Formats: sequence, C-alpha cells, structure tokens
Amino acid sequence: MNGFFRWVRTNSQKYLLEAVQADLAHRYLGRPPTVGPKTPQVIFWKFLFVPLYRRLPWKVKQSVILAMPGSHRRHWSS
Amino acid sequence: MTNTIVVIGGSAAGMGAAGAAKQVDPDARVVVFTELSDVAYSPCGIPYVHGKEIDSFDRLILLGKDHYEAQGFEIHYETVVSAINLAARTVEVPGQPAVRFDRLILATGFEYERPDIPGGELDGLYYVRDIRAAQRWDEVLDTVKRAVVAEAQPIGVEMATALAHRGIETHLVDPHPWAMAEIADPDIMAPVEESWRELGVHIHLNTRIKAFLGTERVHAVKTSDGEIPADMVVIGAKKLPNNHLAAQAGIKLGSTGGIIVDDHMRTSAAGVFAAGDCVEVPQGTTGVPIQGLSGSHAYAQGKVAGSGAAGKLRSYAPVYVPWGLVGGKWMVGGVSFGETLAGALGIPFVLGVAEGISRARYYPDFKKIRVKLLAEPGTLKLIGAQIVGGEGVKERCDFLAMAARQGLTLHDIAWMENVYSPAMGALNEPMALAAQNGLATAGQS
Repeated sequence: MNGFFRWVRTNSQKYLLEAVQADLAHRYLGRPPTVGPKTPQVIFWKFLFVPLYRRLPWKVKQSVILAMPGSHRRHWSS
Repeated sequence: MTNTIVVIGGSAAGMGAAGAAKQVDPDARVVVFTELSDVAYSPCGIPYVHGKEIDSFDRLILLGKDHYEAQGFEIHYETVVSAINLAARTVEVPGQPAVRFDRLILATGFEYERPDIPGGELDGLYYVRDIRAAQRWDEVLDTVKRAVVAEAQPIGVEMATALAHRGIETHLVDPHPWAMAEIADPDIMAPVEESWRELGVHIHLNTRIKAFLGTERVHAVKTSDGEIPADMVVIGAKKLPNNHLAAQAGIKLGSTGGIIVDDHMRTSAAGVFAAGDCVEVPQGTTGVPIQGLSGSHAYAQGKVAGSGAAGKLRSYAPVYVPWGLVGGKWMVGGVSFGETLAGALGIPFVLGVAEGISRARYYPDFKKIRVKLLAEPGTLKLIGAQIVGGEGVKERCDFLAMAARQGLTLHDIAWMENVYSPAMGALNEPMALAAQNGLATAGQS
C-alpha cells in the first residue's frame, strides 16, 4: 500500500511542479515550457489530474494529502 | 544491565544520535556502523574545497577517530549492515556474528537518484558525497578542462559554481526552465544565472540528458539539444531516502519514501528510532510530510533519536525549513514555501516583494537583497519566504523560519524593529519593506 501512496505522491508532485514551473517561467522569464511526448501517463497526470487538482479548494486538497499515511499521522507536538 | 544502542550511519544524524545517547547514558554501549572510512566530517563543505575557497579537505573533519575511541564509541568503518532482524533484535553484517541491540537508530541517509539512461555505468561520473572519493576527484579535477554538471539541484548548483571558480569550462544541464526549479523561484535564481554567465558557466536549461557517451570513460553527454564534450560529469541529481534496510525489516515508510516517525523519532517498530535524510517529518504550516532536509535538521533529529534510545525522550517539532546556499556570487535561501512550491500544492497566498540593501547605501561594498514573503490570505500569517542577496541571507531565513513557527503576520514584520548600523544594516530592513508591500497587495497597508 505504501508503494501506491509513494507512486501517487511522486507523480502528482512531478506534474504539479511542472505545471507551475511553466506558468512562472512564462511570467518571470518569458521562457516557453518544454513540450514532451504525450504518453498515456502524461495525458492522465498533466491533462486530467493537474486541472482537476487545481480546481479544488486548498482545504480539500490538504485533507486528501493528510489522509495519506505518513509521519504527520503519528503524534507531533507543535 | 548495559543498554546496547546500535546506530546505522555515521553522518550528521548518526553521530548526533551516538553522541546524545552517550550523553544521556554514559554507560551505554554505543555501536556505530558506517559504510564510509570516516565519521564526523562535513560533506556539505566538499564543493567549497573543489572550488578552492577552502584550502584542504582536512578542514572539513570535525573530530578524529581517536576522539570517538577515547569516548568509548565502537565505530565500525567501511562496514555494510546487510539486514535487520527485529524479532531477534540483531543487525547482520556479512562475515561477522550478528550484533544484538536493545535500541536501534537508523541514520542511513540518502542515495542519489541514478539517471536511468545509457552510459550510467561509465567512469568519470562523480556523485559528490564521500570525503575520500572527493579527495581522489579533486586530483582528477586538476586534469579536467571541460565538465558537465547534470541537473541543477542544490549540489549541482554548488558544484557548477565550484568548477567555474576553478577555471574549468562548465556546462550546467537541467531539464527545468530555471535552476533549482523545485525549490527556488525563477526571480530568485535569475541573478544566480547571470553571475554564472559572468563566471563563464554555459547554462543549458529545458534540456534533458539522454545518454553519457564513451567506451570506458565518459567523453561527452548527449542531450535533447545536442552533444557536449566532457572530461567528467558531476551528477547533481535528486537525493532519495536510503531505506532498503528499513523496508526489508518491515518498518513503515511514508509517501515520500522516508521512514515514518513520531516527534520522538520513533519508527513503527518498538525500540527502533530513525533520523536524518532517511525519515520524513511534517511541515509546520500544512502538516504535509517532507523529506530530505539540511544537515542541521539531520543532526538535531539525531540528537532526539539518540536521547530517546538512551532512555530520555525528547521532542522534535514540525519543520519550517530555513535553507540557503551559494550559487555564483549570490546567496539564495528561503523558508518553507516559495511561489513554486505553494503554487504546485495549490496553497493560496498573498505576496510581498521588495529589494533592499545589506548595509547603509553610503557604506562600501553594500549588497542588494531581494526578499519575497508569502502569507496566508486573511490572517496574513507568514507561510514562506525566498531571498537572494550578496550577504545576510542566512540570518534572515533563520529569523523568518522562527517568525513562521511563531505565527507572525505581515503586520508584525512590516513594522519590526531592526538593527541600523552603516557597516552591517541599512535603515530600511528589506524584510520589513517586503511585508509592507504585501500589506499593500492585501489592501491592508
């Protein structure tokens, strides 16, 4: 199960970062994003997951992220 | 009965843990296994020796082997632990009897993400980590005319700068649109890129490495934008948690691949602690687990783990991650989130940006500083910061991390008191200016 959550995190992190990097590179540097091949993986993460994730309010996203297993689910005093 | 504490790993977390354990329980038997030939040196200093800012690797060694021997530590150098047997409470070392433990501390650190491309097995690929290897590579560098730095992650940024300082024709190749694009923002890295160009670094952004070319030794790098001849390649790739032993033993890992721990650095296995690059800990503002922090985080976590293993539980708090490094002639740093990370996660923020100076404008050699603050909309609590400047970056990042931890707002920072002394601080503190601009953006000035 941990492998699944790692897969989700690794891919979501990669494609969400790529999307925001494209936005910021355009805004700050006037540089175009790189265009890679449209594999099924890219289509899913870049064209389905990222737009859907971006539509959700932060509190919902945060709840989903924090529902995954991890150190944050154990006891931590702030 | 003597408490036997076994530590796997001899870097910052491992030696921090070993030292704390002995401090809490001087009678404990503390056994450290390390795959390397040394402990207690600063691997973070290696790029600066390569760059000739530091004149000798000896300066990176903090304490000698005899010190640890005199203190009663049993350190097994160049020794690989092959397995952990939780049921028998032992660690296994090939060719030696199993070593029993009462408490175990995992400080197995990181491993570089190996590029999954042709030529990865060639000689001439340098993974910066071990001081002995660095000494050998330093001699090689005397013969190198052209080098490629593969990826502008933090170690790649430091090594590109070091090689350029050394007069080597340096090519920095990175698939992202700017250097360190997973951590730093483009406007923060822009001055660094400019100064690299002044130093003669060739920057190849938005460029992927497709293969390392050569027969036995690398002689060129094939990229998405053509071939680059190279006498060597520094691999500046991402660091991944080294958790093979923990995973084999059934110790729980999180979504980052780091070992799951609580605030006492206890893992899912009774009597087993973990610290450093192999664990994940929650980020303070969001609670999101993160992994792969700095040497100072690893050392502090090691202290908590070692103390707990020796019988005195201490607590480690969620992190706000002040960080910093040198790129080109600039210092860059930050706290928790910049626009890139906050934007990727989708965290809403109010932005305040300002440029200031590090000393009075009439004092010689003052440096520019750009400060960017991110605050939570509504409350205007600080959630992140990024800074680039000629000096004073570390102190500001440390302060801003504490400000975020304490829940300070842009209001607090905008009208903070600050040192004004011509030689070390300007009248207008750049952090305060950034906060004032943030308040204006939020309509609360």
